[in-house]
Formats: sequence, structure tokens, C-alpha cells
Amino acid sequence: MPPASPNRLTDFKLPTAVLAAAWLGEGELLAGCMDGVYRVDLAAASHRKIGSHASYVSSVAAVPRHGQYLSAGYDGRLQWYDLASDQPTRSLDLHRFWSWDMAVSPDQSLVASVTGQYLAGGYKYEPAPEREPSVRVVAADTGEILLSLPHVPSVQAVAFSHDSQFVAAGNLMGEVRIWNARTGEQVAGWTTPDFTSWGIIKSHCYLGGIFALRFTPDDSGLLMCGMGPMHDPMAGNGRQLWQRWDWRADAAAKIDETHEGESGEGLMEALAVEPQAGFFAMGGRLRGGNLNVGLYGLADGGKLGSVKSGYRVTEILFSTDGSRMILVGGQGQPDQDAEGRIADFGRVEVYDIA
Amino acid sequence: MPQCAGILDKFAIIRSMKTEPTEHFQGIDVLTRGDAPRPPFTRPILGSVVAQQLGQLDSPVPQFVLLDPCPEGNEFKSFKAGNWAGWLGAEYGPVRAGGAYAIPDILRPESISEVDHADREALRAFLSRKFENDQKSAAAAGYNAAFARVKGLMSCAPLFDLDRLPEDDRRRYGPGAFAQHALLARHLIENGSTFVMVANGMPWDNHVFQHEMHQMLVPELDNVLAQLINDLEDRGMLDDTLVIAMGEFGRTPWLNEARGRDHFAKAWSLAMAGSGIRGGVVHGGTDERGFDVTSDPVDNRQLFATIFTALGIDPTAEYDLGDLPTFHRVEGGAEPLMSLLKTG
Repeated sequence: MPPASPNRLTDFKLPTAVLAAAWLGEGELLAGCMDGVYRVDLAAASHRKIGSHASYVSSVAAVPRHGQYLSAGYDGRLQWYDLASDQPTRSLDLHRFWSWDMAVSPDQSLVASVTGQYLAGGYKYEPAPEREPSVRVVAADTGEILLSLPHVPSVQAVAFSHDSQFVAAGNLMGEVRIWNARTGEQVAGWTTPDFTSWGIIKSHCYLGGIFALRFTPDDSGLLMCGMGPMHDPMAGNGRQLWQRWDWRADAAAKIDETHEGESGEGLMEALAVEPQAGFFAMGGRLRGGNLNVGLYGLADGGKLGSVKSGYRVTEILFSTDGSRMILVGGQGQPDQDAEGRIADFGRVEVYDIA
Repeated sequence: MPQCAGILDKFAIIRSMKTEPTEHFQGIDVLTRGDAPRPPFTRPILGSVVAQQLGQLDSPVPQFVLLDPCPEGNEFKSFKAGNWAGWLGAEYGPVRAGGAYAIPDILRPESISEVDHADREALRAFLSRKFENDQKSAAAAGYNAAFARVKGLMSCAPLFDLDRLPEDDRRRYGPGAFAQHALLARHLIENGSTFVMVANGMPWDNHVFQHEMHQMLVPELDNVLAQLINDLEDRGMLDDTLVIAMGEFGRTPWLNEARGRDHFAKAWSLAMAGSGIRGGVVHGGTDERGFDVTSDPVDNRQLFATIFTALGIDPTAEYDLGDLPTFHRVEGGAEPLMSLLKTG
């Protein structure tokens, strides 16, 4: 059981906002930032820049089995690095548009990356059909494209099941599709309207969607998060929302969601599951309320604890022993000072959750 | 914006707009009227001035049309509810259409014959004009102007029917409301309207979700502007039609915590093409990060002096407003940006 108010142990900054993070080993993080890829030593609170994309880095992942790690970016590229030397070893222009999210299967054999550009398909800005495969599954060791799977753009979140047999992807419209990660057969699909806004005022277009996906430890459920619908999509004041779905049912069924009174307002874009203690964490931005990271029981969905970090959280990680929770993200980019410098605005924090 | 990049020889771009208002209502007020408010006097909006100066008041086709996809719109809603034509009078106000503003009840019911309809209108016009003259009623004058406009609209309702536009044109412009409204604007200008304002500003108000919005907005704007400019040129209309792509201010060059950009009036850009405008010209500039204007700043008065001059309207003219104070079309003796003008 995590504490209701986890105690912060470490807090330090990176030059630009951290948009993604992954464990490289005990005490060492890989951070995907607006300006590139960094290795971060948590104990020393130090960082070292490894490389960059032609745009923001959207995802990072480690593949220690192959002695590699990866980054994906808004340039649509997938980049491999040697774990020991940090040298780039392979680059793959996987998408014509951005890689919104990327994940490595738990067995480290597969990489999945999702893309898709939301373009007007009708007078009310219904999404146009995809112009390229929205989901690619790639061999982690060779970079060979194994599967190209269809979806409705933009597809913003992807996750593998714990047994590495299934890959799930969610989009802006709240549509989730799950495929057999080996054969490409679609095994489930449904749409939830609860994460997407269509602007009654200001903006006649769709906005929001599913920003993170995670399978439950036994792979029977799929967790997703984002923000509830808004009357004004520019307000960013939708409900902080997670949902849990039984995707194996004949017709996928919603099992649970953020309980009434246990959320504030703001976009949630990070999910992490801590299987040993039986809870999960959801994080993002605080627009209204008292928390931007919530800890919830896997059994009953009840809120167990929370953090009000004071910055946008983009990724949550748990240490192997379950005693630490790492939050990464970014503050708003500050204005330049009198000397033309911009203060560091990427954030890394370590919390005690033992 | 690759499509617009291919026709930049037709655009003049101002990279050094530097204005005061940082909130929507005030910004729209200044950047559509040309000057800050001076209560209780209401300066007419640009479209009203152009309609008055260049339009035909007795035309059945509305001279000033606002195509607007959003009936609401926060601060813009307040602005829309305001007095657009100002001291020029209601006859120079816009006809609003598009999106949820489909013009209702514009067709004559079959139960009323054309003769009956004409007789009823003649009686209404006689009585209300008599009332207007006897009582010197500005309100009655406004009602009469509105009835005259409705009469014109009834005769030109097909002009507003998107379904009557060529399918190939509709496909080229794209399916979204903004794209269809831009095509409709071309159609209205071709058929006698003088000024069409195609509103699409609020989706750009990206305090949140900058990337998620721009993935859709930028390619749409790129295509719509390119289609419109090319169409006007192909039809021999570009030399007589001024296209202005602008907002009421810019956005911060940095991202906020909500992955968005906030209001920023210190340094922003706009583009113009067509009538009186020299293409392939860039005016002014900012520092490397876009934080401030570093050369040739342009304010709202200079912008309006340039627009009026490009259209052949004297920016220095005084309004003839009877007992009101003296107002100029552009205050402060602001000079047009001659580098942007073909006459310059």
C-alpha cells in the first residue's frame, strides 16, 4: 500500500521538458526531451546528452537483451543506440508523420510505434482516413518492419501486453484496437467517447483522446487515460480520467473509471502499473483540484495516494523493488532572462512509496 | 506550409506586428476597427468601411458577409454581439452565415404568391419609412435597412448554398468548415459582395494542445490560402481582390506547461496578397527566438493605412459625422508601408 502523500527524495532539472523516460538500469534513466535524448544518473542528479531527433523526442525505451536502447520522435524516426557506447547503431524512417508514442514488448523482441495526422474529413472536422499505416511493429533486433496495422488518426498511445502477445493502440477519437502482435489479427476494438471533445464554442474540431495505455498485470484488462470532454477544448479543464476495460469480453466492457470526487481537472498522459503492491499511477497536468499524480488500487480503483508536483508529468516509473516512484515532465518554458538565457525547465523527481 | 511556400511571390508578409491588446475582445476590436475604442463613439469595422467605400448599397447581394462556423466563442461572442458598423449605420453591418448561422426562413412560403409578397413588402416599407421620417427614428431606419437586406438575401439565397458550388472546387478546398467558407467567400466576391470575413480564429487559440491542434490547422490553412490565391489569379480577380490572413495577435514563441502557447502581441506576423500589394516582400523582423521585434515595427494604424491604400481608399480622410468629434479613417497620420504597396 503506497503512502497517501509520498515523500519526495530527489528533485533536479534538465535543460528542456522531459517528454518520456525509461529505466536503463538500476539508478539510471533514459530521458526523451524536447531537445534530445539524455542519460540521467539519479543518485548523482546528473545528466548527459546522447543524441537528438529533428524534432521533439516523444518516446524512449531500453532493450538490454540486445544491448541497445531506442528513441522515437516527432520526425517520425526510430533511432537505435548502443547501450555501452551510446553510439547510434540504426535509424529507421518509420512514419511520414510524427511518432506519437513507442513501446517495446516485455520480451524485448518487438517495437511498436504509432503515428497519424488528424486532418479534416468533413464539415465538422470528422477525421479523414489514415494516409499511412498508423501502427508499425518492428523487430527490436533487426529493425525489420513486421506489421503495418490500420487505425484512425491520430493514434497517440501504444502498449504491449505483459506476455508480449498483444499490442493495443488508442486514438484521438477514443477508439482502441488490439491486435495479435505476431500475426496482426485484430482481436478487439471499441470506442469510448469519454476522452474526446468537440468544441461547441471556439473550435469546431475534435481534441483530446487517449494519451496512455497499460495492460493490467494479468493482461485481462486495459487501462487508459486522458481528459474528460470539455465544453471549450482550449480550456484544458476536463476531468482527470482513467478507465479500465475488459477487452477479452465478447463486447469490450468498461469495468471502472476515476471514481467520483477522486480527480481534479487536467490532461492525464502517463500511466504506470506497480504489480507487486497492486496499484497503478496516473499523471499529467493540474488544471484544477489538488493532484496531478494519483495512485489507485488495481483491485477496486480507489485512490490510495496523490502528488501535487507543480509541473506537467509526462511519464511515471517504478523501481524494480517497488520502493521508489520516479516522475518526469516539464514546467512551462520560461522567458529568457536579461542575458538571453532560458532557465532549465525539465523535471525529474524521485518519491519514496515504500 | 509547402503550398503557400510555392506561391510566396504573391504574398507580402509582415513579420514585425507589434500591438498593445493581449486579450481577445480588445485585440479583435483594435485589429478589425483599426484603432482602440473611444467610448461612446464606435468606429466601424474594416468590412463596413470597405462596403461603404467600394460597395453598392442597392445591390441585392450582401456587401459585407461574415462566414463564421461558431455561434458562440467566448470573448468573440461578445464582440459579435456588438456594433460592427458603428457610426456608418446598420446598413453597413455584416450578414452572418455559415456553420450554425445558416440563414433561416429565407425562402418565400409557397402559400404566399409573389404578388402578395411584393404588396405586403410595399405596405410595410411605406409605413415604416413614414414612421422613420415622422419620428426621425434611427431604430426604424435600422429596421428598414434590415428588411432591405432580407429582401436582397431572399433573391440571392442560392449564393449561400454550399451544395450548389462545383464539387471539384469543394474537394480542392477541403471538407472542413473553414475551407468551405473560404470557397464560399470566393463565390460571394465573384458575385458582387465587397468584403467577406472568414472567421476561423478560435481553433488557433491553443493555450493547450498546440501540436494536437496544429497537425490539422496548419495543413488546412496552407491549402485554403493557396487554393484561394490561385483561384483568384486564374479568374483574373487577384489584382482587384485583397486577401488578408491575420489574427488579433500572435502566440508566445515558447510552450507553456499545458503544451500550448499563450497570447503574444509583442511580435507577430500576418500575410496579404492581391489588390495593390506587392508580392514576394517581407517587412520587418524579430530576434532569433521571436521574442521581440528588432526591425520596422508595425502597429494597427500603419496596418490599416496600408490596407486602405492598397484598396484605393484614402486613409487620411475625415468622417463626415455631423455633431460628432472629428474622426479620421486612420488616426494619428499613420503612413502606409510603402514597401508593401505596388504604388510604393
